[in-house]
Amino acid sequence: MLVIRPLQETDLEDLYAMAQKAGKGLTTLPADRDLLRHKISLARDTFSQKCAPEAGLYLFALEDTKNGKAVGISGIQARVGLDEVFYNYRLSIAVNASKELGVHVRTPTLHLSNDMTDTSEICSLLLADEYHGGGNGLLLSRCRFLYLDEFRKHFSEKVFAEMRGVSDEQGRSPLWDALGSKFFDMEFSEADRLSGLGNKAFIAELMPKYPIYLPMLPDSARAVIGRVHSNTAPALRMLQAEGFNFNGLVDIFDGGPVVEAFVHTIRTVRDSINRYAKVTGKNVNLDVPASERVMVSNRSFRDFRVATVPATCVGVDTVSLPPEVAEALHVEPGDSVRLAPLKDRAKTTTAAG
Amino acid sequence: MWLVRPAIPDDVHQILEIAGTAGSEAARLSSTLPRQRDALAERIAYAQASLAVKAGAADRPQRFLFVLENTATGKIHGTAGIDARAGNGQPFYNYRRDALIHASHELGISSRVEVLYPSHGLTDRTLLCSFSITPELRNTEAFELLSRARILFIASHRHWFTKQIVVEIQGVQLADGSVPFWDSLGRHFFNMDFDTADQYSGLLSKTFIAELMPPNPVYVTLLSEAAQAALGQPHELTVPNLELLQREGFQAGCYLDIFDGGPVLEARTDALHTLVTSQVKALHGATEEGGDDYLIAAGEGAGFRCALTQATGTLKGTLKVPVKTWDLLGKTAGDEVRVAPC
Repeated sequence: MLVIRPLQETDLEDLYAMAQKAGKGLTTLPADRDLLRHKISLARDTFSQKCAPEAGLYLFALEDTKNGKAVGISGIQARVGLDEVFYNYRLSIAVNASKELGVHVRTPTLHLSNDMTDTSEICSLLLADEYHGGGNGLLLSRCRFLYLDEFRKHFSEKVFAEMRGVSDEQGRSPLWDALGSKFFDMEFSEADRLSGLGNKAFIAELMPKYPIYLPMLPDSARAVIGRVHSNTAPALRMLQAEGFNFNGLVDIFDGGPVVEAFVHTIRTVRDSINRYAKVTGKNVNLDVPASERVMVSNRSFRDFRVATVPATCVGVDTVSLPPEVAEALHVEPGDSVRLAPLKDRAKTTTAAG
Repeated sequence: MWLVRPAIPDDVHQILEIAGTAGSEAARLSSTLPRQRDALAERIAYAQASLAVKAGAADRPQRFLFVLENTATGKIHGTAGIDARAGNGQPFYNYRRDALIHASHELGISSRVEVLYPSHGLTDRTLLCSFSITPELRNTEAFELLSRARILFIASHRHWFTKQIVVEIQGVQLADGSVPFWDSLGRHFFNMDFDTADQYSGLLSKTFIAELMPPNPVYVTLLSEAAQAALGQPHELTVPNLELLQREGFQAGCYLDIFDGGPVLEARTDALHTLVTSQVKALHGATEEGGDDYLIAAGEGAGFRCALTQATGTLKGTLKVPVKTWDLLGKTAGDEVRVAPC
């Protein structure tokens, strides 16, 4: 069984192995033990409330209970731009017009912005290859929306995600080559790596501050602005299904889009319901398709846990949990739990009657 | 003989011919001179009105236009202008080439980033403009006369002009007529080819520039390589002109033409070589040929004339000048003339 739980120190090696396999492109989780260790300790401090909840980094692990290994990770940064400066480009249109000459020209322009400052970001999603499929990615991503909703006061009203932009097999980004590299003599992969090590703001300091007129960039670069890497397309579709939309901001390095949503409009949040936990002695077949399962969260701030059970377990006031699920969730009979569909809407509500 | 005098309405046809016959490449009329008859006639009328201004009473910025005439044939071979106030009461547009250092202490990196800033900094400075000459006269004494006559005019009417003086040098244009700087920058915003924009800037109010020109600074590194190479570079045909102006004391500063990226030269008016070396003398007759070569100018306003002559100075501060030159200048013995050595 797979269960979401807070990331912990013992996950370091699993995390490192995953980050190593993921290679380039996962900016926020570089394969660097010291950095990962640091992130884990930030997450531990966050869950144990050693730091202000608004300043926290909430990292969750997807654990395979049969061997205790972490096979996935996802996170929420409660606020970006607190310590460092958080940069994006805003894609906007400038119109130059002359009535005298009958000229009316629209010029798409990139403006450097810090607009996402103080906003909560969902980030750091990574799932081990052998666990892809079966709704594991959905669980890893969507469990965060349950957490966001549960502890809304610690997060901003709006949350966003930066989507990985277009780069080729060699890790070359057309936008970086046409723009960033002109100001900063460095390969995209190296700039990206430095970003992951926490140097993004430093690099941003070297980037152009004045607006960039897109007609001055080559077509190859213009074509990737606001576009996602093909590997990221499924993640984008998943977020779009949750109600996330492109907000006009793009990554300053690779042009990948920023998508955002208000927490209260996120589909998982809207479709979630509370039930009391009931531990059932009956045999429950947990191995049902993702579309027939619901997420069950234990609603705990410090020990947030989410697992999935078949939608048929959901009753009018209660949800029947097999003992091993209740145990994995650290839930006692009678505890309030929160449910949300793992994949399609309506499953919980129909089952609940 | 060659004579420089203020343009008059009858010159319109001949000035237009310089543009027509010589071809756009050879003697492309300066962008500040319109190529349309009506507009050119208006420009000449404006120049004549400017000449008629009495001491400091101009109600609009003065603009002057001179022509180079072959007195033997009456034919006009070139034009040269002065705008007393660049922009003529409107903003005068340039790019100012400047640099920013993008530095990161943490990464130990510091790099120089060149930026073109839109600028009106040269507005209201006196501007030499509208210079054109038929190709066969390039690099001749007539060429020098036409260009430097303006400085003698300024010397004789100093109060009309400002302390600083500028001149725009035509930038790089390729054989196929394309302008790399324009194609890399202006064209995206003006949505027209260089020649069209260039003509508009001579013909229309400059409002269209304000309306269409990108208001933000432009990073040089994002320009095409050809455009970067053209920054501050003169069109090869303007090199003699450039060199002549440099001898006058003009120097390229940080300003560039907004259309073609050509250099803008700057000088202090009172330090211009021709002005500094010019002297006012009383005209005297010379019976025999000979003496040193001088630029000689006389007359005020519409009566201004400038020619090349041989002359000999005398100990009494007078200048012995052949009588045929007197006629050109419309002056007679004892009249004041201004001369500068060639």
